[in-house]
Amino acid sequence: MTQTDLPLPLYQHIASHTIQQLEPAWLQLEKGSERIIQVGGAWQYYCQQMPQAGQQASDVFDVLIAMLPISESFELPQVQLQDGKYTDIFGLCEPHHDWLLFCDVTQNTLNIQQYHQISNDFILLKAQMKQTLHRYIGHEVSERIAQGEMQLDAAGERKTIATLFVDIRGFTPFNERHDAQMVMQTLNDYMNGMLPAILQHHGMVDKIMGDGVMAVFGVLPSENHCCLDAFHSAKQIIQAIYTLNQHRLSSGLEQLGIGVGIASGEAVLGILGSHERRAFTAIGRHVNLAARLESNARVGEILIDKTVHQTLGQSHAFTAVTLTLKGIGQSDVFSRILPCIHGDD
Amino acid sequence: MIQKKICILGAAGVGKTSLTAQFVYSKFSEKYLSTMGVKIDKKVVTVDDTSVNLMIWDIHGEDKYKKITNSYLRGSAGILTVIDGTRAETIQTAYEILERVHRDIGKIPNIFLLNKHDLSDAWDINEQALAELKKYGNPIYTTSAKTGEHVDSSFQKLTKMLIKP
Repeated sequence: MTQTDLPLPLYQHIASHTIQQLEPAWLQLEKGSERIIQVGGAWQYYCQQMPQAGQQASDVFDVLIAMLPISESFELPQVQLQDGKYTDIFGLCEPHHDWLLFCDVTQNTLNIQQYHQISNDFILLKAQMKQTLHRYIGHEVSERIAQGEMQLDAAGERKTIATLFVDIRGFTPFNERHDAQMVMQTLNDYMNGMLPAILQHHGMVDKIMGDGVMAVFGVLPSENHCCLDAFHSAKQIIQAIYTLNQHRLSSGLEQLGIGVGIASGEAVLGILGSHERRAFTAIGRHVNLAARLESNARVGEILIDKTVHQTLGQSHAFTAVTLTLKGIGQSDVFSRILPCIHGDD
Repeated sequence: MIQKKICILGAAGVGKTSLTAQFVYSKFSEKYLSTMGVKIDKKVVTVDDTSVNLMIWDIHGEDKYKKITNSYLRGSAGILTVIDGTRAETIQTAYEILERVHRDIGKIPNIFLLNKHDLSDAWDINEQALAELKKYGNPIYTTSAKTGEHVDSSFQKLTKMLIKP
């Protein structure tokens, strides 16, 4: 619609209403220069001292520095002024003169800002949540959850999984001998070795208990059998700790060893907890077995149950052993020891 | 005195306004307030005995639905492209903005600021992403608007690039 399509009284009404809202103020400039020729409008709204003919426009308004002379028409939307007001600034290139027009858009901008604020807060919150998920279940899966391609269901799904426990040997006496800050740093170093090895093999960190970690395999999608993922993860964890111990040895620090237990079986997966605090967990008989295996494992030892051994087959050089496990009794399990501490290998 | 206009660009929430506030007023606020349009500040920076009046255009964050208006960039001598070091996805926005700047106003001096370095535990920029960023051949600073880390030095560096190309 153009001006001529509207009956004159309506056009005049709209123009009057709009002009009243916009509080326009303008400068007429010498063509190709920033020298002010004429001044008009509600300048008191935009600055304390009214611009004068003969002044340079950018001397009056800092915002115009580097914007003048006007070589082509432009629009600067929502320029924030010192007193918190917002103005749209138009630079108009005409044949004989150039023009600068200021229009107040404070109310409209503040209204839109509320929506922007909510939207940007949401973006930041979503990024924080994604990062938290990323730490527990790895980048790939957290991305899929964020995109809505996958969800962790609280319904209590039954699934065959492998559960891995890993723990630092002799950590309690180490803890007693050293300052708490040093213990915290050591733990962080160990976790930096352990956790990526779990995430890279599609494991999910279920719990971190001081110096110990419980991880489950088979919950997150993987091309491999959950027992194979858990075993590869265990090997990589021990290798990472072996490398870390090398650094500690060269820095004159005490080496620490780890032991691993893996068992497999059916578990119920789900979200456990109250409405205020919930955590994903796996519950099954084999979980307790895996914990017992880990507590019996020596430095660098991976102990696995029969189910895991059957799945892995004979090619992984495990030795059959019989152990008496607390609360379980005599059990036939399988052992493999890998180098973990320098000097023992 | 020499006057130069610079623009602070980047995705929403990366810390453009906080960096500007730290540089101009030595202030930091934990409260996040979304910038609308553009806010212009100025500060005199002295580089090797030359004083430069920097006009700093803190421009609203770019997102999928709100692109930066080209006219904001008019007359700009240099830019600081800010990335949130705790959100690797903001690198992509930085690339998109920079490519548009190159297309619309040409290759002007640029510095990448990897901001929020005080949040080291949440740092999300890996070696590969950093290597990609280095391919642009622009200086890269890790900054913290909160602690002031590398804030003054990055503005100083850009000013130096403007007057001694």
